[in-house]
Amino acid sequence: MSCRCMPHAQIFCEGAGNLMNPDGTITLTIDGQAVTVDPGTTVFDAARMAGIAIPVLCHQQNERPVGVCRVCCVDTGERTLTAACTRAAQDGMNVITNSDRVRSARHTLIELLMADHPSPCARQSQSHDCELEGLAAAEKITGVRYPKKKTSRGKDNSSFVIQVDHDACILCDRCVRGCNEIRHNDVLGRMGKGYTSAIAFDLNLPMGNSSCVSCGECMVSCPTGALTNKGVVDTVLPGDAVDTEVLLRLPYFQEISGTFLNLNRNAVRFRNFKAGDVICREGEYGSTAFYIVKGKASVHINTPMAHVSTKGGATGFFSKLTSYLTSDSDSPRNADESRSVPKPLAMLEAGDLFGEMTCMSLYPRSATIVAADDCVMIEMLRNVLDIMLRNKTLRSRLDSSYRKRALEDHLRSVPLFSSLSGEFIDRLRDRVELLRFNRNEVICRQGDPVDRFYLVRIGFVKITESHPGGDLVLAYLGKGDYFGEIGLLQGGLRTATVTALDHVELVSIDVGDFHAMLELFPDIRHGLQAIGDSRLRQNRGHRTAAESVPLNEFLDQGLMEANSLLLLDLEKCTRCDACVRACSDAHDGVTRLIREGLRYQNYLVATSCRQCRDPLCMVGCPVGSIRRRETLEVVIEDWCIGCGLCAENCPYGNISMHPFPSPASVVEQGSITKAVMQYKATSCDLCMDHAEPSCVYACPHDAAHRVDPNEFFRLSELR
Amino acid sequence: MRIDSTHRPWFWATLTALAALTGSYILYGAMSGGERSGGSVPGLLYGIAGYGLMIYAALLGVRKKVPVWRVGRAQTWMRGHLWLGFLTLPLILFHCGFVWKGPLASVLMILLFATVGSGVLGAALQHFIPSMMTRAVPLETIYEEIPHIRRQLCEEADALAGSIAGTENEDSFLVELEPDARAGFLAVYRNSIRSALAPEIGRKEKRTVENFENVFDSLRKMLPVTAHPMLAELESICEEERQLRLQKRVYLWLHGWLLVHVPLSLALIVLGAIHAVMALRY
Repeated sequence: MSCRCMPHAQIFCEGAGNLMNPDGTITLTIDGQAVTVDPGTTVFDAARMAGIAIPVLCHQQNERPVGVCRVCCVDTGERTLTAACTRAAQDGMNVITNSDRVRSARHTLIELLMADHPSPCARQSQSHDCELEGLAAAEKITGVRYPKKKTSRGKDNSSFVIQVDHDACILCDRCVRGCNEIRHNDVLGRMGKGYTSAIAFDLNLPMGNSSCVSCGECMVSCPTGALTNKGVVDTVLPGDAVDTEVLLRLPYFQEISGTFLNLNRNAVRFRNFKAGDVICREGEYGSTAFYIVKGKASVHINTPMAHVSTKGGATGFFSKLTSYLTSDSDSPRNADESRSVPKPLAMLEAGDLFGEMTCMSLYPRSATIVAADDCVMIEMLRNVLDIMLRNKTLRSRLDSSYRKRALEDHLRSVPLFSSLSGEFIDRLRDRVELLRFNRNEVICRQGDPVDRFYLVRIGFVKITESHPGGDLVLAYLGKGDYFGEIGLLQGGLRTATVTALDHVELVSIDVGDFHAMLELFPDIRHGLQAIGDSRLRQNRGHRTAAESVPLNEFLDQGLMEANSLLLLDLEKCTRCDACVRACSDAHDGVTRLIREGLRYQNYLVATSCRQCRDPLCMVGCPVGSIRRRETLEVVIEDWCIGCGLCAENCPYGNISMHPFPSPASVVEQGSITKAVMQYKATSCDLCMDHAEPSCVYACPHDAAHRVDPNEFFRLSELR
Repeated sequence: MRIDSTHRPWFWATLTALAALTGSYILYGAMSGGERSGGSVPGLLYGIAGYGLMIYAALLGVRKKVPVWRVGRAQTWMRGHLWLGFLTLPLILFHCGFVWKGPLASVLMILLFATVGSGVLGAALQHFIPSMMTRAVPLETIYEEIPHIRRQLCEEADALAGSIAGTENEDSFLVELEPDARAGFLAVYRNSIRSALAPEIGRKEKRTVENFENVFDSLRKMLPVTAHPMLAELESICEEERQLRLQKRVYLWLHGWLLVHVPLSLALIVLGAIHAVMALRY
């Protein structure tokens, strides 16, 4: 068997092979299997791609390998065994992963680690998935020949969320790398020497007193029970609870830490659907993904949009009077639920995952999914899916599934490409590249040579043009949009820089396929040319308009990002603060609106959630408590742990942190008992229980309006 | 509340009601042979309707106390308050037949005129002042924050002045100044600028506030170019101070009339009730 894999991001030891195959790859043998990989690939990754599992403790796929536990030792024919996770594969290398020598060394290493390990540790007791104890069981290590450590490194119980047992720590540094390299929180490090070595928070502060934001990354990364949850999280996701052990038996969940699943046990729920039930509807906002455990579901697209009922629904004297005397705008909340579902386009079966794009990008659902028969599904929040997607094997399965299932729908959903033939799409299926970018990562730069055409699959990108005075934002593109056509059609250089605004996934079509497509489908060529010309015209317009202060301000204030702005017409507002009082009254005395902010023309853009199209606040929420519901609202659920990341991420300062009584509101410290307040994030929820936000409803002067940007533009033009 | 084209339905409804009431009043006068009395059935109906509208208008205050109650949009209540409240005047005039005798009736009529008058004044102020304030006070802030921000501005101004010319006791500063220029700047700062930034100021300082531009023009001539950026910052602080003072003054105009209108309205309601009881009972 022969397979190929991409190199790991960074290799830390010398010795990358210098003899190569003609195509630049190298071939090595692992346990008798020939494996062809790119230079720089580690032996561990090469073995994984060949389906050979090498046990390891200190390494996980989303982290930089450091080779400290040495459990992944393999025999490469050299004098000593080597750690597979850091050893670069070499051409002609012969690797043995299971010889007596290797097994004996691994056995001894695990036995030594177990000698210092309090078995069963907290994780083993909680979810039975301590990786060290799992390996020990696999090695049939029941008793330890070596003396146990006599001194204890202690426990740290100071955090409300995470319990630290330093004795269970094997000093693999997975938590340290997770904290510093994945989350960039820079809280965790090492302290001490020899037997006193331990992980430390900040300058060796108790975890609860440190600058830790309780994101949980360390706990998720920990292979043992050194960092475990205290089970403070609660949830309101519908459905039945799923046992962690059951989850760990399902294919997609096997790579996830049991501790993490246990912590987020309520963010993963069993859902039962009867045949014909609509599981999710195209166009609706959602923040969950579904995994089919049993049954089938059908995929439908182009569901007719909601018919909005505007009049006649008012009940009660004042409502009727209001309805009669005012000309209210339509409320999307009155959407007619009885919508038809078109013919199915595809079927999903047990083991399939869907809804992941909406879950990751918080973009509206791209299809309606209907239960074809009685189904059992697992619904999960973004934080769980995020952890799942770090697994490269799962990612490649999802990519393959996308190529098979969704690429055609994606292309056909873009009107310009609807005329592509099935044969050409089949050609593209295996040739397109699926690329992922993190927030703020540059996808391509202005002035770079043009070699690819991109379709946005998930997320938002920002198109900017560099000028001596700074960058000018030309456009924001989302799912279904595309870019790169101007450079390709003109045969020159990139005319703008494209940056990912959030987690972005792109379909990349190579220059050859792009030109083949244009030759085979002249209508697409004409369409792209027209769009390219139109974009160039728009860009010129933007450049001219940017000279005028209002548009510059409009862009600077990020108003075009907003779905719903709270605007106060300053020519009508008497500064009576009725809006603020109403907000405060509607939210138990905690206002989510401040009558301050930037001005745009005669409007004050109040400090209140804008329900952004691309809600940056949702990026990275460690417990998935900030999410977008089926309608427009970005809500913060009650299980917020108060880490403040969303408030930090919100570019407009529209999320505030407020102290609330903690669920564990009383802490005993010896004989002293004191109340504990826990911070939680609050932001405008649009008063979703009502037809109209309280601030707007309570404004006596017709000054407060919740508007979408289009309406905002229109209002501005009318002035 | 700005009275704009969105008030048109209310305007026409009020005008129609006024025309209908006037017609009915003329008819009532013709049928009663010119003998109009508040105690007659039509007179009582006018009185009850007028008093009912007064009660409705007064309920706006209660409505504002419970902003979250879904009892109709506050905007609708306000429009009703404006237009239906305005109708109380003709209704009460029709009720009394444009004649009021006795001390209570006279006081009531004075109160009614004063209440409606203060209301109209308030409506006019709230129609014009917000747009004026928007233009004149671009650095507007939350009213309750003004004293705090002004304190901060004073501190910032002192720090900037210290950076330009040091203080009397300390001569460490960022700009190289001739001793005369330094003394001159400190004198202008202490006597004109700083005193004008104080919480309570007299007429002289008020004139300074209005003429900050001239003060800074003279300072720019006095100080070297290297000090001009810091002077510009100091000037922006003074400008913010000027705007906040203006905001405070305008805010009092915007809401101060309520101090007259609300007590008058309450007195009118209470005395109106006494009048009704006395008239019906005795």
